[in-house]
Amino acid sequence: MGDPKHNSDEQAADCAMANAAYLAIAREVLEREAVWLDEQRWDDWLALYTEDCEYWVPTWRTEETLTTDPRAELSHIYYASRAGLEDRFVRIRSGRSPASHPMRRTAHLLSNVLLEGTPEEHAIAVRSTWTSHVFDPRHKKSELFFGHAHYRLVKRNGEWKIAKKKTILQNDYLPSMVDIYCI
Amino acid sequence: MDLKDIRYYVDDRPGEGVFRIRRDVFTDPELFALEQRYIFERTWVFLALDSQLKQPHDFITTAIGRVPVLVSRDAKGKIGAHLNVCRHKGTTLERIESGNTKYHVCNYHGWGYDSAGRNIDIKDRQAGRYTPAFDAEDHDLIPLARLANYKGLLFGSLSADVPPLEDFLGDMRFFLDLAMEQGPDGMEFVPGRIAYTYDANWKLQMDNGIDSYHLTSTHTSFMAVQERRRVGAGHQEARQFDWQKRFSQEGGMFGFPNGHSVIWLNQAEVTKRPVYSSIDAVRARVGDARADWMLKMRNTVIFPNMQIADSTSLLLRIFRPIAVDKTEMRVFCMAPVGEAADIRAWRLRQFEDFFNVSGFATPDDTVVYEDAQAGMAATQVEWLQGYARGLGARHDGQSELAKQMGISPAESVQGPFDIQTETGFHPPYREWARLMQAGVSGRRAYG
Repeated sequence: MGDPKHNSDEQAADCAMANAAYLAIAREVLEREAVWLDEQRWDDWLALYTEDCEYWVPTWRTEETLTTDPRAELSHIYYASRAGLEDRFVRIRSGRSPASHPMRRTAHLLSNVLLEGTPEEHAIAVRSTWTSHVFDPRHKKSELFFGHAHYRLVKRNGEWKIAKKKTILQNDYLPSMVDIYCI
Repeated sequence: MDLKDIRYYVDDRPGEGVFRIRRDVFTDPELFALEQRYIFERTWVFLALDSQLKQPHDFITTAIGRVPVLVSRDAKGKIGAHLNVCRHKGTTLERIESGNTKYHVCNYHGWGYDSAGRNIDIKDRQAGRYTPAFDAEDHDLIPLARLANYKGLLFGSLSADVPPLEDFLGDMRFFLDLAMEQGPDGMEFVPGRIAYTYDANWKLQMDNGIDSYHLTSTHTSFMAVQERRRVGAGHQEARQFDWQKRFSQEGGMFGFPNGHSVIWLNQAEVTKRPVYSSIDAVRARVGDARADWMLKMRNTVIFPNMQIADSTSLLLRIFRPIAVDKTEMRVFCMAPVGEAADIRAWRLRQFEDFFNVSGFATPDDTVVYEDAQAGMAATQVEWLQGYARGLGARHDGQSELAKQMGISPAESVQGPFDIQTETGFHPPYREWARLMQAGVSGRRAYG
C-alpha cells in the first residue's frame, strides 16, 4: 500500500496475466482454424470468420519485397468479405473440380504464436508461423507450403472471430495448384 | 523412331479432313532436345514489355528456352538484350529478376559490365599476366542475334536467321494491337509475381490456351460457383463473366503463318470487360471496329510460348519448357498505364478469380495437364484425336470476316460457340513440324 514500486510490479504482473489469457484465446482460434482445414470441416472453418472479414495472401513484388496494396497490386488471393471464401467450398463440394478431387490431405502446423501490440477487450492482433504439408493422392506426391500469418481477432456476440487474416507465402514458386486449404 | 522425318509426328491433311498429332511430341526426350535447338534457339521468343524498363539502367532477367537472358536499358535509353552469362567462367551474371543498376558485376571473379553489356572491368587485370591473345578477345556480353519491339512487346532471337519481327507476327499483329492499344499511354504489368510449374509438356499449355472445348467439362465447378453468384452470393467484387451467357455466342478462330493462332467469341456482357469503362475514349482513339474487337473474347498463341488471353481481364502468359514433362509458367496481369484506381482493383479481382494458380480455373487446367502427361505413357495410343473439331467448318484463306477486318489469315473457322473448334491448334503444330523438319534436315529455319 502506498509503495509505487510495488504497485507497478503488480500492474506488470496483471498485464502479463491478461496478455497470457489473450494469447491463449488467440492460440485456440488459430489452432481451430488450422485443424478445421485438415479435417475438411469447411462450415466450421467459415464460421470462424466474420462476414466482413478481409482475407489476403499478397504476392511477392520482387525476390525480397512483398506487394503492399491489394487494390493496386496482384494478390494470390484477396477477399474483402467472407463471401469470397464461401465460393471456395462451393467449388470443392461441386465434385467437379479436377484439382479438388480426389481431395488432397493436409497437415497444418502452427508455431511462434505471438501477440502483436496490446490486446483490447474486443480485439487481439496476433501472428503465427505456419507450415502446411499437402499430399495429392491422385499424383502421389507431397508439397510443403510455409510462411507466417497476421490475424486480427474480434469478439462478436461473445465469440472470438477472425476479422482479418494476411498470409505470407514464403515459397511462392508454386506447384500446379494452390487452394485455400493448402496454406 | 526416325527423327529425320518429323512430319511423321504431325498428320496435317486438312484438305482430306484430317489433322492428328502423335503422342510422342509430348513425351519423347529426344524430341524435347530438338525443340530447344530447332525451335526455341531458332525463332523469335517473347522477352518482356518495354514498360518494365522505364528508366536508364532498368533491367529484367528472363530466358529463351534454357538460355538465360538479360534485358536492360542503357545509359542513353536504348534497350539491349544479352546472354546473362559472364564471359569469364560462364556464370549467370545478373541473379535477380528485375532492378536498376549501372553495372552488373559477376559474383564469382568480379568481372563487370555496364548496362549496355560492355565489359568495363576485369578484376586485377594489370597484375594478371594476361597475354596479348587474351587482350585481343572480345569480353563484352554476347548480344542476342535479334531484338525487336512491337508496340511495347520485346522479342528476341538467338538466331539471326529470322524474318523481321513484323513479318514473323504478320497479321497476328491485329490481335496484339487489340491488347496493346487498350490504354492511351501503353500497357504495363501490374506488380506481383505469379510463377508456378506443372509436371507435363509445354505444348499442353500451348493447346489449352486456345481450347474452348474444355470449358464445359474441366471448369464445371466454376459454373457451380457462378450459379450462386448470379443470385448475389459469393465473390461479387470480381464482377466475373457468366459463362452460360457465352455459350450462345458466335465465335471462331484465325490461323496465321509462323505458328500463330487466335480463338475469339462475341461477348454477351461487355460491361464486365475492364476496358469497357473507358470504351468511349478507346473508340475515339482506335476506331469503332477495333474497339468492338477489344470487347470480344480473344485468346492467342504467339508461337512458340507466349499467350495473350483477353477472356476475363487481360493476361499475358509465358510457358517455358524445363523438361519434356515439366513446364514453368509465368503469368502477368496486363493493364493500361495510368488506369483509374477502382478499375484497376476490379481488374485484379477478376484476374485472380479466374487465372491465378490459386484461383478457380487454372488449377483445374494444370492438374488435367498432368493427367494427360500420365496418360501419354500409353505408347499403344499412337494418334491423339483432339485436333479434329471444327475441321469441317474450316475456311482456307481470307474469309469474308477477315476481309472486313483487313487481315489475311491462312485459315479460319466461324460459327456458333458449340463448334468449340480445335483447328486453332493446327498453326502451332504446323510450324512446330516445319521448324523441326528444317532443323533435322540441316536447312535454315526461314527463307
